[in-house]
Amino acid sequence: MGTSTHRNDDAEVVNQVVSGDLNGFERLLKRYEAHVLGIVTKHIPFDKVEEVAQDVFVRVYQSLPNFNRNDSFKQWLSTITIRTCYDFWRKHYRCRETPVSSLSEKHQVWLEQAMATRSSQSFDERASQKEAREILDWALDRLSSEDRVVLELVYLEGYSVKEAANLLGWSTVNVKVRSFRARKKLYRLIKEMF
Amino acid sequence: MTLIKTENEALREILRRAYHQKEKVEVSHRWQEEVMRRLRDLGEMEARPTFVAMFEQLVWRLAPVTCLLILGFALLLSSVDFISSYDLIHSLMNSTEEIALNQFFGL
Repeated sequence: MGTSTHRNDDAEVVNQVVSGDLNGFERLLKRYEAHVLGIVTKHIPFDKVEEVAQDVFVRVYQSLPNFNRNDSFKQWLSTITIRTCYDFWRKHYRCRETPVSSLSEKHQVWLEQAMATRSSQSFDERASQKEAREILDWALDRLSSEDRVVLELVYLEGYSVKEAANLLGWSTVNVKVRSFRARKKLYRLIKEMF
Repeated sequence: MTLIKTENEALREILRRAYHQKEKVEVSHRWQEEVMRRLRDLGEMEARPTFVAMFEQLVWRLAPVTCLLILGFALLLSSVDFISSYDLIHSLMNSTEEIALNQFFGL
């Protein structure tokens, strides 16, 4: 019931904006700011989150005439957000001039210990360390933008292949194959550290 | 094999936790104003898609049909004879005329 009311309300606001009332867009912005920032934060480096989230809303505004009023606005917004993040990485990889970051010996030691540790308590302690994030960023940086986005959605966030395909606008076969290959590449990259 | 699988699962769990541990980004209160400013700079929204956009959509929609038609015509042309029936009849008529004249003049 709540979702349906929200959906109708969203469609109403979209109609207002499309008919020329730009201020109506502020309502959508306030309502979905946290949702968009939540997605963008996961995929984009901290210093670029604000910029990319702004791009998302600009893109949403420009695409509003094409929004099907019977669809869920939130779902549509998520799709645009993911695609904007993907475009960010495509651009980033194309313009990248500086060499990708490298890992120190302490990362290797940390990973070896973390892999060896199976007890959940010490595992939790280790998993909270920032080394894990640095290793992940290091590995993701060595993948293509396509592999990166698929890996983040399917492998790390737990989306199904179909959901990821819908979000990216790709075929399910493409997502399935890419996800499999990207996972192999990730394992290989990390294991080469040993 | 099982060991590799277990290792990969452990690795996945470590990476998943690390991935979800990203801190929440606090955006400045001017963030929304900045978005609205950018939207105002864009100008009025086009309520209807432009002619170029519609044409572009149409072209892409018709592209597979066009390809199929080209393929069909290519197959058709390769299977039929290139000498048209008109030319065939014409050449037959010419040769019968020649035979008749030959008979008439006794050549």
